[in-house]
Amino acid sequence: MLKKWGNLSLSLVITAGLMAGCSSGGNDTADKASTPQQVSNLNETGLPIVKEKIALDFFTGKWNGNSSNYDDVLVWKKYQEMSNIDVNFNLVPFESLTEKRNLALAGGDYPDVFYSARVGSSELTRYGPQGIFIPLNDLIDKYAPNFKKLMEENPDIRKGLTMPDGNIYSLPSVYDPNFLSMLIGTPLWVNEDWLKQLKMEEPKTIDQFYTYLKAVKETDLNGNGKKDEIPYGGTGITSIIDQIKGAWGLGTKGLGHKFVDVVPDTNQLRFTKTLPEFKEMLQFMNKLYSEGLIDKEIFTIESGALNAKGQADLLGSTIVPNPDTIMGKDNFIGLGALEGPHGDKLYSHVKVPMVHVGAFAITDKNEHTEATIRWMDHFYGQEGATFFFMGEEGTTYNKNANGDLEYIDKITNNPDGLTMDQALTKYFTWTGGSYPGFVKEEYFKGSETLPNSMEAAQKAEPNAVEDIWYNFNFTNEETEFMSSVGKDIQDYIGEMEAKFVNGSASFDQWEEYVSTIEKMGLEEYMKVYQAAYERYNAS
Amino acid sequence: MAGEKITMKKERFKQRQKNNLQLWTKNWELYLLFLPVMAYFIIFHYIPMYGVQIAFKDFIANKGILGSPWVGFEHFERFFDSFYFWRIISNTLGIGIYELIVGFPIPIVLALMIHELRTGKFRRFVQTVTYMPHFLSTIVMVGIIMMFLSPTSGLVNVVITLFGGEPISFMTEPGWFKSIYVWSGVWQTMGWSSIIYIAALAGIDPQLHEAARVDGASRLRRMWHINIPGIAPTIIVLLILNIGSILGVGFEKVFLMQNNLNMESSDVISTNVYRSGILGAQYSYSAAVGLFNSIVNFIILILVNRIARKVSSSSLW
Amino acid sequence: MAESRGDRFIMSSIYILLGVISLIVLYPVYFVMVASLSNPEDVMLGKVWLWPTDFSFVGYQRIFENNELMKGYLNTILYTFFGTVLNVVMTIAAAYPLSRHDFKGRNVFTLMIVFTMFFSGGMIPTYLLIKDLGILDTFWAMILPTAVSVWNILIMRTFFQNSIPKELQEAAFLDGCSNMKLLMRIILPLSGPVLAVMVLFYAVGHWNSYFNALIYLSDRDKYPLQLFLREILIQDQMQNMVDLGSDTFSRSLMEVEAIKYAAVIVTNLPMLLLYPFLQKYFIKGVMIGAIKG
Repeated sequence: MLKKWGNLSLSLVITAGLMAGCSSGGNDTADKASTPQQVSNLNETGLPIVKEKIALDFFTGKWNGNSSNYDDVLVWKKYQEMSNIDVNFNLVPFESLTEKRNLALAGGDYPDVFYSARVGSSELTRYGPQGIFIPLNDLIDKYAPNFKKLMEENPDIRKGLTMPDGNIYSLPSVYDPNFLSMLIGTPLWVNEDWLKQLKMEEPKTIDQFYTYLKAVKETDLNGNGKKDEIPYGGTGITSIIDQIKGAWGLGTKGLGHKFVDVVPDTNQLRFTKTLPEFKEMLQFMNKLYSEGLIDKEIFTIESGALNAKGQADLLGSTIVPNPDTIMGKDNFIGLGALEGPHGDKLYSHVKVPMVHVGAFAITDKNEHTEATIRWMDHFYGQEGATFFFMGEEGTTYNKNANGDLEYIDKITNNPDGLTMDQALTKYFTWTGGSYPGFVKEEYFKGSETLPNSMEAAQKAEPNAVEDIWYNFNFTNEETEFMSSVGKDIQDYIGEMEAKFVNGSASFDQWEEYVSTIEKMGLEEYMKVYQAAYERYNAS
Repeated sequence: MAGEKITMKKERFKQRQKNNLQLWTKNWELYLLFLPVMAYFIIFHYIPMYGVQIAFKDFIANKGILGSPWVGFEHFERFFDSFYFWRIISNTLGIGIYELIVGFPIPIVLALMIHELRTGKFRRFVQTVTYMPHFLSTIVMVGIIMMFLSPTSGLVNVVITLFGGEPISFMTEPGWFKSIYVWSGVWQTMGWSSIIYIAALAGIDPQLHEAARVDGASRLRRMWHINIPGIAPTIIVLLILNIGSILGVGFEKVFLMQNNLNMESSDVISTNVYRSGILGAQYSYSAAVGLFNSIVNFIILILVNRIARKVSSSSLW
Repeated sequence: MAESRGDRFIMSSIYILLGVISLIVLYPVYFVMVASLSNPEDVMLGKVWLWPTDFSFVGYQRIFENNELMKGYLNTILYTFFGTVLNVVMTIAAAYPLSRHDFKGRNVFTLMIVFTMFFSGGMIPTYLLIKDLGILDTFWAMILPTAVSVWNILIMRTFFQNSIPKELQEAAFLDGCSNMKLLMRIILPLSGPVLAVMVLFYAVGHWNSYFNALIYLSDRDKYPLQLFLREILIQDQMQNMVDLGSDTFSRSLMEVEAIKYAAVIVTNLPMLLLYPFLQKYFIKGVMIGAIKG
């Protein structure tokens, strides 16, 4: 019986992309010329967007906690009236999103728009030229002034959106590049109470951090009579490596590119995972692990359990979005960049501002492309974005004395006992992420805007990665290479990293590690990267 | 002489034809009965089977399967050439064989033991209890396993340290992975798998046991000479089916239990292909690997069935 | 006839062994029950082993508040009941003919259906077929694609071939019994155990299934229980996979922990009760003796 189900799930997973013979038929993607009727119905600027009501179908990814009926949600109810466009949100829970999206695309059974559906760059590269997604370049130019302005202010957005064939097939989910706290997402938090108890200063160098960890291990700081303090706890070693690698000067182009970055001052690409600096960093991690300064369960622990440890006052330091909101501990402070043994002080944990390339894509089945792009463009402008995140002044938020926007009490301190998230979902759908839009500090009130996160960002700012690389887009052939040889190389590195850190691989094996990677096809890998890099710069 | 032989052959042929016709007509009810089943398999399984071609093509959505360009064995080559090919085959087979050797006999033994109990509270208790863990979702089950084996707070390590030993980090040592995977599977499913044998044992004529007991045979001998042969056809059929899915190590449980440290022992075909697919749009490749899996399993099945036919009286066909 | 010492020894060993096995096997289920009543934080810290710490019904509370889960329960019962009926009928319709040696073509048919266990067109051609048949997002999509399982057909066929005495069948034929009468009057009544097993296997299969619902259903009102359960359970995985680090995810995790174990208990309770109910069919030889007499 076990085998039967195993076999079933195996074949289901493996054939989870199996395509069908019937397709929607090849479509001519060249200029979807608007019919005169369309153009006349359209209002080129302002609201409503169309004179006579039209209806659109959206394939929509939905977060578990969001409302099951978007028509009841304030933002959409209002926007329908404002825009005169009736949007039918076909909600697909994130848990089944990938399968359903594959089925829709492959079976030719998709609606007008993919909204908040996490369409990946490789899917855009593949289906765009095939005509399923339409190029948006001209539409943006003519009918999306807000987004066009954003692209002009942040040229990297255009670079990250442009597919290898030169077209843009989607609108993204972007954080304001100046909103550093969002880009950091998960700072390295240190227990301030314990620092004080140990009479230590906030660590500014790697060595100071080490000293702190050591002291935590040896002192009963939570006062329960047991030496059960965990100096550093996290879910996996990736997050802490991404944080401290800057102390060795690694990760000069941000978190979008963990294997390749540039040598400072030149523009040469280098493979980070075989550098001597990387080895040194791993040796430091290994030292931490073997001295018991890292939670022994770090390789297997799940977030829920980690949060429980935090709540039980066991953690000396950790990397999470915000210990205050998820562990109920407001005594943590975020560290700035740590200085390494060679004087490097780079805050490397900075994400790509463009978090989802394909947050919004228009398909060839859409008969109202201009109206559609105008519909979306509204949310990239100041007014629209504020509306999307904060709602209506007076109804869902108020301006306080400083001019800052704050949610009304009914949301932040709900009288019926709802948590803030539960209260928010009656009015908004931004909770859970993946939506197309532009996130700015002035209207985004997630936990990243809490004072402790903002402070951490301020500390990080002077040393934060400059000139972040957005995502590169690979051609179909390159994608195939990256999914086969590339993936194998990355798998190998992931395994060896873990082994070097926990000691099951000794550093004597370093040379062997490097040469294995070279044998696996490092040269080809770098060539692919170089090609994508050059295209990126050129767009 | 030759002429006689030919006429004899012709006559036998005609006789056989008449027999066949008789069989076809005599059993018309059976054919009628089987018809809806046939219809089901044709509609839901054979009609969609054209999709198998995708493994040999570079799928392009607009052109459909038939219109997509043929690439022959390109995907298979990519699979065979991959750096970890031997590792994942060895892990998949390793787990499959381990599961067979350990997991196949245990439910049988369990069923034999339960069968010896007289009906009553204890028997019902044992049957119900052993059957329960099957219902724990994989996610919950793996969570429990990890909790029990935790190097810091897990029950197993607490017991080990009590006896003066060093705690073992089970989940991060490759050497332990397969054993944990297999034995936890036995733990969870032995009761469920024994059900079919209990049912088969219930079909054995009790008079056989009476006769044996009169002859003075002990319980053990009766089990060996009556019970086991009595359920032998069931055992053989299940054995064949199990061997025939030996490469079919499931995805979810392995995926939840693997991590970078035990990967060299825990990476199986399904999880490796899953990671290839993360970048997206690698449909033909996954289909090719899936097809490879199916073909190997099917060949093994045919071989095992042939052996079973020679060696015993039961086989699939 | 008194039992020999050897036999008594065997029996005691069996009792002891089964007792031990039962306890070992019972423990994870017991743990889940205890955990569902404990403070979720304690559970995650590994403090809960034998009894609930810090009694908390929050998991159960959340579940019963959740209207969707209750609707899912109803749907699952529906799919399971009708699905199982169809399954058992189809399995008999396949296994009986295949069990007869005089059923011409039986080897070919067997090979044909076994073939489908290994080779299939894949998820999307099947999805399109369902769509073309017009049963997408309907009750039928939950029942028809899984109308019968080859594995179970083979098991039932084996049972028919080996556990029904040939003499009975021959006697019936001599008496002029038709195939159908033979099936209904003699074969099926003697097949208590295997029928009970089939009901069990298929019912549980339907109860636990979620993948077909995931693919074929879009109307939440039709969702089975397992799909909702899965949405709850997979939150933890979503966090790791998506690498969002978003705090909205993190906060819901505590909730998830609370509900997880309670959800498992609530969703599986009916199935746990089904087996004891069917156990009376597994009593040895009752059927054969009755018919012979």
